Amino acid sequence: MNLNVNGKAYTVNVSADTPLLWTLRDVLGLTGTKYGCGIEVCGACTVLIDGQREHACVFDTSSAVGKKVVTIEGLSADNSHPAQKAWIEYQVPQCGFCQSGMIMSCAGAMNAGHHGSEIMPEMGNICVCGTYQRVKDAVAKL
Amino acid sequence: MSHPAAAFSPNLTPTLSQELADAVKRHTLDRRGFLAFSAKGLAVACALPVMGRIGAADAATPPTGKELASAYIHIGTDNRITLIFGGCEMGQGAMTGLAQILAEELGIDWSQVNVETSLADPVVSYLTGGSSAVRGRYDRLRTAGAAARELLVAAAMSLKGDGNRDNYSVKSASVVHTASATTWTYGALSTLASTQAVPADLRLTPPAQFKVIGKPVPRLDIPSKVNGSAKYGLDTWLPNMVFAAIKHCPTIGGTLAVTPALPGGAIAVVPCKQLESRGAVKAGTVNAVAVVASNTWQAFQLAARLNVKWTLPASTVDVDSGQILATAKQLMASGTGVLVADPVAPAGYTPASYAPVMAQQVGALMGTPTLDATYTLPYVAHGTMEVLACTVNITYNSGAIVGCEMWAPTQSASWASGTAAALTGLPATAITVHTTLLGGGLGRKIEQDFIAQAVQVAMAVKKPVKLTWRREEDIAHDQYRPFALVNIKAKLNGSAVTAWSSRNVSQAILGQRGWLPPGAVDSQAVEGSIDLPYELGAHVAEWVPLNAGIPVGFWRSVGSSINAFAVESMIDELALAAKVDPFQFRFNMLMEPRTIAVLAAAEAMSLWRKTLPAGHAWGLAFAHSFGTYVCQVVEISRNGSTGINVHRVACAVDCGTVINPDSVEAQMQGGIVHGLNATLWGQVTFVAGKAQQSNFRNARVMRANEMPTVTVKIVPSTLPPAGVGEPGVPPVAPAIANAYSRLTGTRVRTLPLFPGVTMGGL
Repeated sequence: MNLNVNGKAYTVNVSADTPLLWTLRDVLGLTGTKYGCGIEVCGACTVLIDGQREHACVFDTSSAVGKKVVTIEGLSADNSHPAQKAWIEYQVPQCGFCQSGMIMSCAGAMNAGHHGSEIMPEMGNICVCGTYQRVKDAVAKL
Repeated sequence: MSHPAAAFSPNLTPTLSQELADAVKRHTLDRRGFLAFSAKGLAVACALPVMGRIGAADAATPPTGKELASAYIHIGTDNRITLIFGGCEMGQGAMTGLAQILAEELGIDWSQVNVETSLADPVVSYLTGGSSAVRGRYDRLRTAGAAARELLVAAAMSLKGDGNRDNYSVKSASVVHTASATTWTYGALSTLASTQAVPADLRLTPPAQFKVIGKPVPRLDIPSKVNGSAKYGLDTWLPNMVFAAIKHCPTIGGTLAVTPALPGGAIAVVPCKQLESRGAVKAGTVNAVAVVASNTWQAFQLAARLNVKWTLPASTVDVDSGQILATAKQLMASGTGVLVADPVAPAGYTPASYAPVMAQQVGALMGTPTLDATYTLPYVAHGTMEVLACTVNITYNSGAIVGCEMWAPTQSASWASGTAAALTGLPATAITVHTTLLGGGLGRKIEQDFIAQAVQVAMAVKKPVKLTWRREEDIAHDQYRPFALVNIKAKLNGSAVTAWSSRNVSQAILGQRGWLPPGAVDSQAVEGSIDLPYELGAHVAEWVPLNAGIPVGFWRSVGSSINAFAVESMIDELALAAKVDPFQFRFNMLMEPRTIAVLAAAEAMSLWRKTLPAGHAWGLAFAHSFGTYVCQVVEISRNGSTGINVHRVACAVDCGTVINPDSVEAQMQGGIVHGLNATLWGQVTFVAGKAQQSNFRNARVMRANEMPTVTVKIVPSTLPPAGVGEPGVPPVAPAIANAYSRLTGTRVRTLPLFPGVTMGGL
């Protein structure tokens, strides 16, 4: 299967139903997208597919063929996406494990036309460290 | 924030530390706790004490002159300045905090400090837990940093030929001879400095002159955590690696009957034995199998579907929540306990000899207690965002194992090294442990089960292997916060408490590890039930050991989160009985200016409680843990019949000297969420040996959009730094319970408040 991830072309040899999460992580070595639950509850695996938020843990690799996949590694070359800048300004991450998914959720919500305080209700991502207060503060400015 | 960023390398290229570790093995530290030597510049080794919780050195222990090094300060001839440190970063900001302490005493700018986590070696690493990462190491790191600075100044003095120390100053990693304005960079002085003698007067920076300590410098690890480049244990990627998933016997205490046949698509099926006993799971038994495949998902699928024949234990009576509750109630009524008194006893007594005296006084004064209540807390899983994962590569020479390299998100690299040594038979010198970033630790990643499994799989498949636990295994095979029953009896005389006794029935975390001498009290079980900040008249605590088969472990704030629920709920119940405002009731009983100041700060922060809308209520709790005082006030309202909304949490904290106020605030915010998860929903229940929860769907946690508005106020202190990672947790449950009681008129004495509430998909 041919994939386009972060603007690069890849050919992968996995079964069609392999979740995109594991193709990204174990085949392409793009480990920024995280496994948290595998059942589409936590949001740690959030990526953008043709600009829209998807949960890579339940998204078949074959369904990504012909589409543009963006992972946290492809969001910007230099931490310059507005969400990344806000996350640094507000010192959001603690352990940081859920934050790729958090930031991709936020970026997807922005793509969908949401701004500022409209973004938070769009973000159901789980963070066990409890960084939510700072996520709230960070997205309020976007 | 205006501070330029310092740099942090999560040991991806740990070239320096191995060289330093090799050099320092030839020496032990001196009487003052450090050692300077030459290694491409100046190296100063120091011993940063291991955590106090599990033994070995206490945070306050003075240097012995016999210690081994556990951290290094390195000043390279290239002027690169690095702190090499054997602990772990799990989001608590420890690396940033330690770097701040070093930058302060060494006299360098924040942008000039680099941090590396060292390769694990029994010599250079230690446990991270007990909220000790910064608090236990403050004095030692300041001293070592000042020693390094004075060596550099001594080198400048010998070059200049002016032996008056007062004529020199340091700034931005340079020594300046003030009269002549001659300036040397630290790098230029570093080699000569390594041959100088450390002077007696280290000229520690007075706190009033701190420029870096106490400032909200940005965390070193954050830039890598917003672009996917941060490497956790789950992210290790090696050439030719294979991927393994674990499958435990679903019944705790069960063992493998027959090794399953290799399923189609799998590379190997590897039986994994347990190295250490944990309740019904016995050391030496094979309680799990790993399935190895060419990617993690394939391994997950094959493991989930694998048909395994298990030998079930003869009885699961002690691995069943209903049965355990019945046993605990019986023990509460008639079991033999161990008495515990406050750690400081009057002259002529030890705490142990004073406890029975106190118990007698309590008995004499109590008569019929004014209040007598029992609180029930469940087993709770850790559920770190990053599941357990470990990567191991074993190397061979002519078929014999000669080396073992490991990448692990571990809170104890030293123990991980020991686990690998036990399984491979290799000496510690042939084992390398890379501590990756931890996607949450919470106490779970101190444990060795996942490390031992990964080593066994790597030995069997003879290829680099990454073992990952599915979330379902993580929840159902945890080492849980212990279930507990806590009974408190108290006597009121007017609005004063004149007698107080608490009795805690729970499993021994230390006992389950074989660390508890017979008849001794498990310190983890009683922390937070004794040495309370209140004047309680005659008071004593008692612990009754419960022998159940559930594996138990260290869960963020451990016994404090259990006992604070009982103690602070009871204090509110007493205030209600005495018809005194809960703030005033506590003010009346607090004994020290320090604790009164924290309560007063929380009171001032929560004036909103006086004008709450109808259907809203507030609750208060105060707790002391890990040397830190935290008072929280919450505002809640009803949310249908199965929940509450938590609107606000005001949090006042005194944690002694603050290294980084932004980290303190973050840890309080996070501790509150952790506490709310456990208070509202957190529990794992067992039926006939099997955990009934398996993933976030039935192990619900808070989502972002449910977050209350948290405000944090740090009460200033010049006392030594105290814990920050854990103390935000204990007050949460009683504050919510006290608010719930005010909201509904119903006193809640059992956690969680809303058992069985599930969580939908995104």
